[in-house]
Amino acid sequence: MTQPVSPVAQGPIRWLPLDDLDRLLDALRADGRTIVGPVVSDDAIVLDEIASAGDLPAGRGAEAGPGRYRLTDRGDAKRFDHAVGPMSPKRWTFPPRAPIRVARRTGAGVRFASADARPAPLALIGVRACELAALGIQDHVLLDGQAIDGDYRARRAATFVVAVECATPTSTCFCTSMGTGPEVRSGFDVALTELDEGYVVRTGSPAGSALIDSLDLPVADPSALDAAAAVVAGARAAMGTPLDMTNAHAGLAAAPEHPGWAAVAERCLGCTNCTLVCPTCFCTSVVQKSDLDGTTSTEERTWDSCFTDGFAKVAGGSFRPHGTDRYRQWLTHKFSSWWDQFGSSGCVGCGRCIAWCPVGIDVREELAVIAGVGPVPMPQLRTIALAAPASAPATASAPATASAPAPALGGYVTVHVDGMTRETADTVTLHLRTTDRRLLGGRPGQFVMAALPALSAAPISISRFRRDGLDLTIRAAGPATRALTGLERGETLGLRGPLGRGWPVEEMTGRDVVIVAGGIGLAPLRPLIDICLAARDTIGTVRLYLGTRTPADRLFVSEVGALVAGGQMDVRETVDRAGPDWLGRVGIVTQLFDRATWDGRNAVAFICGPERMMQATSEVLFGRGIDLDRTWVTLERNMSCGVGLCGHCQLGRFFVCKDGPVFSLAELGPAFTMEGL
Amino acid sequence: MSRDTGIDAALASGWFGAGLPDATRARLAALAELTSVATGAVVLREGAEVDSFGVVVDGRLAIRLAVPGRTAVTVLTVEPGDCIGWSALVPPHRATSTVIATEPTTVVTFDGPALRTAIDADPVLAAAVLWRVLEAVSRRLTATRTQLLDLFARADQEPW
Repeated sequence: MTQPVSPVAQGPIRWLPLDDLDRLLDALRADGRTIVGPVVSDDAIVLDEIASAGDLPAGRGAEAGPGRYRLTDRGDAKRFDHAVGPMSPKRWTFPPRAPIRVARRTGAGVRFASADARPAPLALIGVRACELAALGIQDHVLLDGQAIDGDYRARRAATFVVAVECATPTSTCFCTSMGTGPEVRSGFDVALTELDEGYVVRTGSPAGSALIDSLDLPVADPSALDAAAAVVAGARAAMGTPLDMTNAHAGLAAAPEHPGWAAVAERCLGCTNCTLVCPTCFCTSVVQKSDLDGTTSTEERTWDSCFTDGFAKVAGGSFRPHGTDRYRQWLTHKFSSWWDQFGSSGCVGCGRCIAWCPVGIDVREELAVIAGVGPVPMPQLRTIALAAPASAPATASAPATASAPAPALGGYVTVHVDGMTRETADTVTLHLRTTDRRLLGGRPGQFVMAALPALSAAPISISRFRRDGLDLTIRAAGPATRALTGLERGETLGLRGPLGRGWPVEEMTGRDVVIVAGGIGLAPLRPLIDICLAARDTIGTVRLYLGTRTPADRLFVSEVGALVAGGQMDVRETVDRAGPDWLGRVGIVTQLFDRATWDGRNAVAFICGPERMMQATSEVLFGRGIDLDRTWVTLERNMSCGVGLCGHCQLGRFFVCKDGPVFSLAELGPAFTMEGL
Repeated sequence: MSRDTGIDAALASGWFGAGLPDATRARLAALAELTSVATGAVVLREGAEVDSFGVVVDGRLAIRLAVPGRTAVTVLTVEPGDCIGWSALVPPHRATSTVIATEPTTVVTFDGPALRTAIDADPVLAAAVLWRVLEAVSRRLTATRTQLLDLFARADQEPW
């Protein structure tokens, strides 16, 4: 019989008698660790702090189905023979609320500092294979990218993982379909297989080996190893034929308009349960907690859900206004775009979303309907790529020793207001002074998060780079932007950035350039115009088309006047409506070039404005010969963290904040025009 | 340069006349005259009978709607190549807006009844002219729909 030997097991496989489990727990406690394991509470098996093995749910099992979860009595002494409950280790490694920054105001000055993440050492007992895979997935999302979640990194480094092999899966379990279980393979410090009389003990890390060595346990005898192998084999068999998930990725990506979305959205209550019980869902929001006089505020990272109405909210509305849009986003992200973003599925097959859905929506059935996933036997199981530590960690669960987050990505730089220019009744350009090299080295089209204590940070495009600072052009629309536009000379604010991918300036070399701006969309294009002027010799004809709502809403009026007079580029302006005093052009911005005779086959276009305006513009430009790969737009989405960690700005496979906000239409494909994506 | 040749060249210089067969354009030129419009001159008045159709050659005209209790609103400006007075071809031949020159403007002007008679008698001419008028009106309809969305309006309250 095959022994359940993990490829990463270290040292001999040992035996821990049932009654001696407290020796293991005591050793962990002696190591200064808080111990968290399964306990019965509110008719469910949840995770909580435990004082001894006596707190564990001996003799209790769990049985689940779509929208159903019940505890069962087995009448034996086993402590871990139950399917997963609603809580996963995420509750401890990525808690629902965590402070991330503190902002302080002293007179006209503001300062920002990272919250001190020093979590207490933790031991998680009873972690299942699916949950280990989920930890690996969250490690990859939160630690392997350009930006790192510092709180998560600290918590993972402080976590010791005692895994337990699953013995009795329930009907909602499908880890074999996702290639994550039931065998515990990696990502643990110690792994137990529970038998009637005791535990077969494997170690998976130096820290795990050191702990088990200190207990001086006997080597497990061959019959125990056989019995342990039978436990896992039994669990695998109990789950039946795995689903063939091969088509999930492509099938979902190809089915954004499948009628199945509307059908499932009819049933979905939008309660967010599935995302809250999911061990990999990582989307968060930031809330501000301020003291009463506003001098000190704490930014707290809180779990959020793509099922909430406000999740995709931006100025003027939500990009996913319907339940259909939101269900599609969740399922497509989990099983399809997660592959594009992170190289794996976002689902580990734990089945929590099925059991804890109040109306019993079963993702396996939805995948079958929408993506054609069916119960076809898989010859070979795929495995989820767990985050591989760059060097041997102290514990298996310690995250990769990835490079520290770049300061400007993670922290705010305090900058000074040197002056203000009122552009319109509600729009102000702040002239900011800073010596921060990262901010000064930004690219046209990039943005910053601009923050004042006690207010939400606002994503603002950089509207000019200067040697000693930069300009931000801000429209007062909410509390934060009102406060920013009210800043006076000498006051300070916090900037985090520059963020995102800017305009591909190099595309202009040797080409004609068409720039189309709608409304405040001129602000992120202004640094590009500056470059056109500076590099006039290396680029062809430059055409600048500007549209605004009314004459009173025009931005940078004297600068645009100078551009017209300067003759270095062809500048045309129009407004959507005007009174009789306005003698300039009236009509939508496309009217400026829809009957033009110039040839766009050697031109590159840069467009910024409301999405509908950019669509109309790009259609006309395409007719002029500007192909989709030479048409660049900048998108607005709900950008909250700015570094691809909070999940709010997703558009199909893209995180708009870090993959964009500038995209070519060729890159965006149908995502550019599809409603509710 | 003869009168007709000058008008033919003016028509050929812009969108409306550029793609027409030479013979058709010459036929149109024979029906038209070049009109100079001074800044501030009202070419069409909303509600009034339209007795001429024009193709703008030079300058700019504003299409305005009167709103009682408010000043007139300019909803569109018309530039070289585009046309004005399409109501001259479409019953009930009444202007849907007021058109006023905001710059010194030159227009190739057709007498409405004469153009209608010519179109009724000549299917080739009808096809050339009416397709273009339809395209111009369609473009205005599309543009007006986009304007209706008021895309640049600020939201009542933004999240930040």
